[in-house]
Amino acid sequence: MILHQIEALKAIGVTEVVLAINYQPELMLNFLKEFEKKLEIKITCSQETEPLGTAGPLALARDKLIDVSGKPFFVLNSDVISEYPLKEMIEFHKSHGGEASIMVTKVDEPSKYGVVVTEETTGKVEKFVEKPKIFVGNKINAGIYLLNPSVLDRIELRPTSIEKEVFPKIAAEKKLYAMLLPGFWMDIGQPKDYITGLRLYLDSLRKKSSPKLAKGSHILGNVLIDETAVIGDGCLIGPDVAIGPGCVIEPGVRLSCCTLMRGVRIKKHACISSSIIGWHSTVGRWARVENMTILGEDVHVGDEVYSNGGVVLPHKEIKSSILKPEIVMAVAEAKHSKTKVLILTAEKHLGLDNENDKDYYEEENVAYETGT
Amino acid sequence: MILHQIEALKAIGVSEVVLAINYQPEVMLNFLKDFETKLGIKITCSQETEPLGTAGPLALARDKLLDDSGEPFFVLNSDVISEYPLKEMIAFHKSHGGEASIMVTKVDEPSKYGVVVMEQSTGKVEKFVEKPKLFVGNKINAGIYLLNPSVLDRIELRPTSIEKEVFPKIAAENKLYAMVLPGFWMDIGQPRDYITGLRLYLDSLRKNSPSKLANGPHIVGNVIVDETAKIGEGCLIGPDVAIGPGCVVESGVRLSRCTVMRGVRIKKHACISSSIIGWHSTVGQWARVENMTILGEDVHVCDEIYSNGGVVLPHKEIKASILKPEIVM
Repeated sequence: MILHQIEALKAIGVTEVVLAINYQPELMLNFLKEFEKKLEIKITCSQETEPLGTAGPLALARDKLIDVSGKPFFVLNSDVISEYPLKEMIEFHKSHGGEASIMVTKVDEPSKYGVVVTEETTGKVEKFVEKPKIFVGNKINAGIYLLNPSVLDRIELRPTSIEKEVFPKIAAEKKLYAMLLPGFWMDIGQPKDYITGLRLYLDSLRKKSSPKLAKGSHILGNVLIDETAVIGDGCLIGPDVAIGPGCVIEPGVRLSCCTLMRGVRIKKHACISSSIIGWHSTVGRWARVENMTILGEDVHVGDEVYSNGGVVLPHKEIKSSILKPEIVMAVAEAKHSKTKVLILTAEKHLGLDNENDKDYYEEENVAYETGT
Repeated sequence: MILHQIEALKAIGVSEVVLAINYQPEVMLNFLKDFETKLGIKITCSQETEPLGTAGPLALARDKLLDDSGEPFFVLNSDVISEYPLKEMIAFHKSHGGEASIMVTKVDEPSKYGVVVMEQSTGKVEKFVEKPKLFVGNKINAGIYLLNPSVLDRIELRPTSIEKEVFPKIAAENKLYAMVLPGFWMDIGQPRDYITGLRLYLDSLRKNSPSKLANGPHIVGNVIVDETAKIGEGCLIGPDVAIGPGCVVESGVRLSRCTVMRGVRIKKHACISSSIIGWHSTVGQWARVENMTILGEDVHVCDEIYSNGGVVLPHKEIKASILKPEIVM
């Protein structure tokens, strides 16, 4: 999502992007260095050592955000997906002459969010109402702002909420204006919403007749496949599927409403729907994965295993089926462990003898070499 | 199972079989006519119009069972699967000179059944104990009998239990003997037991007639495939699978611990385990069927459907997944 945002910023002439982060993920930084080069845009980080809320990080990055030009700066939230009509937002900002512009989006259930009440014609923001119990409007803060540098003077370097403390003040001074975001918008913090957001995003690609969408007799609906991914014979892919770089989809696989991150291998005849498969994971032959199964990084689902909404933490092997949605934190084998490990595990067996299905606990002492 | 029994009877020289039934299933009768011709054995039916228990049907079929020879006749229960050492049973019957012989089999949980208590050396039956609470023995009635014609004189034409009314009387007169059935035995009335019975049966084939079992790179463990069935490429079949006549298993299918009845079509990439697929049913592409799913005749599971222990009555289409074991009517 960050890449989409950075590309949109680059497209309208932004030359520098500051990422407000709370820890140094080296992997992400290296990844972004590539994009610095590719896109020719400067990417720096501003790291908070204590949580600063939604406004505090702006104060922290003050020096990076202000330059002698005195021009306004964009603020984007990275856990949303939408279109980025940033050029139109710049014009809107200029035309009203206020101190801050925000994008708002229409939702069906405004009571879950912070509603922005605006004057119809000008877009001037009258007030914010958090999770309103009665209907006051159906437009909510979309998390995309264009702010004059003077806004930074309003933000102290402490945990501060931009929606609750800063914007209401600017609105009271009649200097805050809201523009309706055209097209789709989705807060993709939750996995289920991520899948919905994917659908909306692919739908918007379809509307633009984007050549990025995959075509072929094995493709159904909107599907995005990275050019470095390999798809075997006899697959049926889609609708609403995104396949990342370096993925290998073996023959006879069925994928629908799912995302496959970089480096994933799906083995023959597997069937995956409504799920997210994390980086470098594998899904075994004839496995069935569905109902908001989320596999973290480096998760390996054994052949013929069934996952119904399993949420699996990284670096795991799943050898027995997950019959109802649950979080999988501990399984029988610990990978990459040098020490003797005592692992407690519960496994369900579907027995063929006359005994009933039963839960039982196994203890294993295992010692592993670190290995690949 | 009936065919196995009829073949075993034919093998030791039986020339006529009477099926005790309670309704006229025309399909079964036509099917059996084929076998009459093939095996060269006479098959007739004795139909009860009201339930007659486990002994009454013998009285009903009296005329068919008796002939001038006065020789004993076999009685077999059709809901069991086992080996049929009938020649040995005849020899046993002659040697003890009693009125009736029964096969008994060892089980782990005798308290669920009727236990036969017998004298160790002769096999003479002392008594029957139904579902014993204390341990009295671990041999139960295997449902295979060899009876002298005189036994028929003990059975009235009314609902009668052979285990509860007839055999105990014969035992009291010291005229009932039991022989331990070698090899496997399984009461396959329940679907789960049917799957276990299949496993035991295939295991015995592996020991006795391994040539009947399938082999190949796509076969794992014991698998039997009818010669008229077709298997596509890239399948993995077994262990403990039986595939019936005329079945079509498309490419990329995984089958384990299941029975696929006559005329079934399994579509590409499907995955089936521990289930019974009824005659002329279909299972759709990428479908997953497991955990004692039982499909009746002519059931059609759509593409990508999941069935976890669904029990589906005949002539149905399954368009939505069955997430936990339940009956679909």
